[in-house]
Amino acid sequence: MSGGVGLLELQDIHAYYGNIRALKGVSLRVGRGEIVTLIGSNGAGKTTTLRTVLGTVRPLRGTVTFDGRRIDRVPTHRIARLGIAQSPEGRRIFAPMTVLENLELGAFARTDREAIARDLEHVLALFPRLRDRLQQKGGTLSGGEQQMLAMGRALMAHPDMLLLDEPSMGLSPILVETIFDIIQSINRLGTTILLVEQNARMALRVAHRGYVIQTGRIVLQDAAAALLHSDVVRKAYLGEK
Amino acid sequence: MTWEEVLIQQTVNGLTRGAVFALIALGYTMVYGIIGLINFAHGDVFMLGLFISLAYFALLGTTTTLQGWHLVTILPMVFLATMLTTGLLNVTIDRVAYRPLRHAFRLAPLITAIGVSFMLENLTLIWRGPAPIAYPDLFPSVDILRDWLGMDSLLFITTKDVLVLGTTVPLLIALQYFVTRTRWGKAMRATAQDKETALALGIDVEKTIILTFFIGGALAGAAGLIQGLYYNIGMWWMGYQAGLRAFTAAVLGGIGSMPGAALGGLLIGFLSAWSDQYISARWTNALVFAILILVLVFRPQGLLGERVPDKA
Amino acid sequence: MTDRDRLRPLPAALLVTALLAYPFVDRALQAQTVHAVTDAMIYVLLALGLNIVVGYAGLLDLGYAAFFAIGAYTMGLLNSPVLGSPLYGHAWSFWVVIWISALVSAGLGVVIGAPTLRVRGDYLAIITLAFGEIIPVAIRNLGDITIDIGGWQPVQRLNLTGGENGVNPVGRPHLPGVNFDTDFIPWYFLILVIGAASLWAMSRMRHSRLGRAWMAIREDETAADCTGVNPVKTKLLAFALGASFAGFAGSFYAAKLQAITPGAFEFNVSIMLLCMVVLGGMGSLRGVILGGMLITLFDRILLAQMTFLIRWIGRSLGIAALASVDLTLWRWFFFGLGLVVIMLIRPEGLAGRRVRPPAADVDEREEALALVTAPPPPRADTVPAWLRQSAPSAAAPVTRPVLEVRGLTRRFGGLLAVSEADLRIPPRGIVGLIGPNGAGKTTFFNLITGLLRPDRGEILLDGESLIGLRPHAIVGRGVARTFQSIRLFQNMTVLDNVLVGEHCRLLASVAGAVLRPPAVVAEEARARDRARDMLAFVGLPDRDEELAKNLAYGDQRRLEIARALASQPRLLLLDEPTAGMNPRETDALTELIGLLREEIGLAVLLIEHRMEVVMAISDRITVLDYGTRIAEGTPAEIRRDAKVIEAYLGKGYEAELVSG
Repeated sequence: MSGGVGLLELQDIHAYYGNIRALKGVSLRVGRGEIVTLIGSNGAGKTTTLRTVLGTVRPLRGTVTFDGRRIDRVPTHRIARLGIAQSPEGRRIFAPMTVLENLELGAFARTDREAIARDLEHVLALFPRLRDRLQQKGGTLSGGEQQMLAMGRALMAHPDMLLLDEPSMGLSPILVETIFDIIQSINRLGTTILLVEQNARMALRVAHRGYVIQTGRIVLQDAAAALLHSDVVRKAYLGEK
Repeated sequence: MTWEEVLIQQTVNGLTRGAVFALIALGYTMVYGIIGLINFAHGDVFMLGLFISLAYFALLGTTTTLQGWHLVTILPMVFLATMLTTGLLNVTIDRVAYRPLRHAFRLAPLITAIGVSFMLENLTLIWRGPAPIAYPDLFPSVDILRDWLGMDSLLFITTKDVLVLGTTVPLLIALQYFVTRTRWGKAMRATAQDKETALALGIDVEKTIILTFFIGGALAGAAGLIQGLYYNIGMWWMGYQAGLRAFTAAVLGGIGSMPGAALGGLLIGFLSAWSDQYISARWTNALVFAILILVLVFRPQGLLGERVPDKA
Repeated sequence: MTDRDRLRPLPAALLVTALLAYPFVDRALQAQTVHAVTDAMIYVLLALGLNIVVGYAGLLDLGYAAFFAIGAYTMGLLNSPVLGSPLYGHAWSFWVVIWISALVSAGLGVVIGAPTLRVRGDYLAIITLAFGEIIPVAIRNLGDITIDIGGWQPVQRLNLTGGENGVNPVGRPHLPGVNFDTDFIPWYFLILVIGAASLWAMSRMRHSRLGRAWMAIREDETAADCTGVNPVKTKLLAFALGASFAGFAGSFYAAKLQAITPGAFEFNVSIMLLCMVVLGGMGSLRGVILGGMLITLFDRILLAQMTFLIRWIGRSLGIAALASVDLTLWRWFFFGLGLVVIMLIRPEGLAGRRVRPPAADVDEREEALALVTAPPPPRADTVPAWLRQSAPSAAAPVTRPVLEVRGLTRRFGGLLAVSEADLRIPPRGIVGLIGPNGAGKTTFFNLITGLLRPDRGEILLDGESLIGLRPHAIVGRGVARTFQSIRLFQNMTVLDNVLVGEHCRLLASVAGAVLRPPAVVAEEARARDRARDMLAFVGLPDRDEELAKNLAYGDQRRLEIARALASQPRLLLLDEPTAGMNPRETDALTELIGLLREEIGLAVLLIEHRMEVVMAISDRITVLDYGTRIAEGTPAEIRRDAKVIEAYLGKGYEAELVSG
């Protein structure tokens, strides 16, 4: 298995989501420069996994290591400053704020003004539609534009690692293709990505490696191409043995 | 008075009252917007602003009307000192009484806030005694139309009215600037909208909450100082009534919305002035509370509200 | 009634003797405390009334003194010989007016409660506070009403309430041979009788269908609504009944004091009562009495005594500041401090049940336990007979579907959450509802159960439309549900949770709850037996008195199902019932669902994400995506349906497989 030194490592994570035990011993690794995808049907524990990485959910057992450093007991706002940014499930952009304000908030933790300005240009080049709407309130954007804004906001943090939670949700197929193309370009420029998705096909097409999670456990892991071209994922999703 | 004069006079009355209510209402709306708490003790912070400012004046030996040089140095100094003190007081209240209950059952912080309110009122009662306290006439009060402009009019507009508006308006503008243009202001707004996402952006939510309480408390302190200078009297129980009227203003304007708080303050200011004049001062409270009930039941998001208050 | 609430005979007898003997002992010792104690008991009674609203129903009422005022003024105005106003000049009998007072207070309770029904939590509290402020203002100002319309004064200085000066004197009760005029002792016994009767009524209410409904509302109003409890009626009853006791207290207060003024009914009185309830423990009768006594003791005796003590110390040590201290001026500081400290340290109050923090390693314990003590698989013979009887007979020809949904549509702003959805559940049918995240499944459930109103479409249960009915009414029609995140009434016992499920099938009224005629007693006994049968059936026997929140996760799921079944539904909606369950529990649940269909003819609609479960259980499956139905058929058909595969796995998935 490729990947080199793991940038992010989860070891035997047990975690609750409300009063449901959502993760029952999840281990996964994301190497520097990779796109790793975590796929599974709903309620499988994908979002809980990302929330555990970010510290929103504190694991009952197990460790989360980022760049060699344990972060499972670190408060969320400090984890964000270590170089992890997210585009959350449901986008969660700030609706009453303008596109520009949303993007600027993405760089909240940074102080290097010149670099921030450069990154802003870079993001707007990546998502030209946002440039046209800089002064528009976030809530007036379409679903696809909001997804771009969420990802742009995450990129403004100039992160080492990007967590993407179901970027395809609610988007038309064409937009999904566009977004995933962008995901690939972001990765080619050096950002490591952990992609959580329900849409297995798109995710496995862009990823290097994949993990399949079902009811809180990893049931399959392999190179993305292998997973894509075998029937195992479908069987796992649709409950066949 | 002609009807134009009546209108102008009512407008001035309404504005001066409304300004004070707006300052207090902002504190309520900011705190509610960020942690969903009705800070019941906020009105008492306003009351303490009055008494604390009085204490600072006394400390500086000021007992008579300020003139010239003293006016432009001592007055701003006391303003700053008072706002700093009440801001810190509000933060302390949060740290001690509210923060431990952030994840408690939903009504616990409100009950605690009522407790804090009673404590503050009683402490002031002990400190300054039960009777209303005279606030010396420290700000020169000049009838503008009569004494400066030589007009013979029934209208009564003084330099005190100018003081109220002259301090409130800059404060509101400064606040608006802070909230829309500065980094921390945006952090406050982001936290109020979506705490979890704000954390994921690296915003220290607890610090933001502290900042919110500080600003809210400082504004209430400024309002207390203005109240003292304008009406020349302070009572240990004034925080309760002023607080509820300001809360009504916040709800009317739209809880969680800062322009809403300013608008609501103005409206309640006008309303209370009008009611005192045309109905009777003894019914004004009932009127304001009736409005509070009506807004909460029929239009809880108020006039400009973003956040729908549904604390189930 | 549990053991906790029943007094054991010996201490009870001692208490009664002490209460009866006390005033005579006091007279003999010339301690002259009866007067003060009697006054204290008025406030304890008020606190008990407030407890119904705050403690039982969970509605924070910050203006309870308004009811006290109305009770006092009703007595004052109807029973005062003072002339000079249209309301004065009568001298009605105390014994009649006290009941009228209670009724008027109850009426005010309904008026104040009505607007609060749409509003929750702290906003409800503020509204009650506002009313509590308006009442004294109104009383003050209605002592001098003048309406001036451009010089014409139809009403001049009308005195309705006595204004600031209040009403005095107020007539006293008349009882042959008893001296209410100059003796304190009769007053003591009168309040004792009123108090004891009130306690008795409250205790009866607490342990009745109504009491359970109150607690369900307090715990989780939405879940209560979806379990068959009418939140509007229940809350109004809490306000009305809670207020009526203030009516009694107010009447007594007015008659005893001989004079009432508006100043006695202000906000601080409401807060003092709240202190009593919070200190003692919301919802606990004994706790509130304890809290009331402690606070009165503190207020009337302790503060004064402490003042003497500190002054004495000050004088002895020569410290002037101490020698002139007056702690009675600090009373509100201490009340406020008390509220803060209690909320921080012991929010359940002195007598409340200690909240147990969830155990950190419960999952390990649970895993081990689950392996050893798996729930007994449900068997056909454990299906309760009464449930069997309520089921539609299998033999009767039924062609009409149990549930028929046509063209169901619901928008949220610009988002079309559910669009033209159709669904049909035949009698005894089990239908699965699946679809990717955000497909609209939960919205669909909420539309059927009445939590949301559809924009368009039809929902028919056995041919009758459910649209426009509130959730509790839909439960009454025969639709029950469980929730994805388990919404049990956490602080209620296992048995009580199931009994709330039966709420809509029981008939006991308020009067029935208090008086307990044989019909009600029998009904309660039957209800308990049924609940126990249900618990045994789902695999939770002998756990009646445990609190729901202390149950293991799998047990909580089963309890929720028992609660849903208790309303004898025709259709059961299960929202992700196997979430978080281990394989054994999942199997048991699957068997249970099958059994329900076989033995009692229940129809089931379930949302599930676990494909293996939904494929195994369902007769037919409906698949939603983006709010519309994209497929419908048997599990085998759905598994092979290309649109379904694409919806879950992504468009072009099949093609990818082939090409790779």
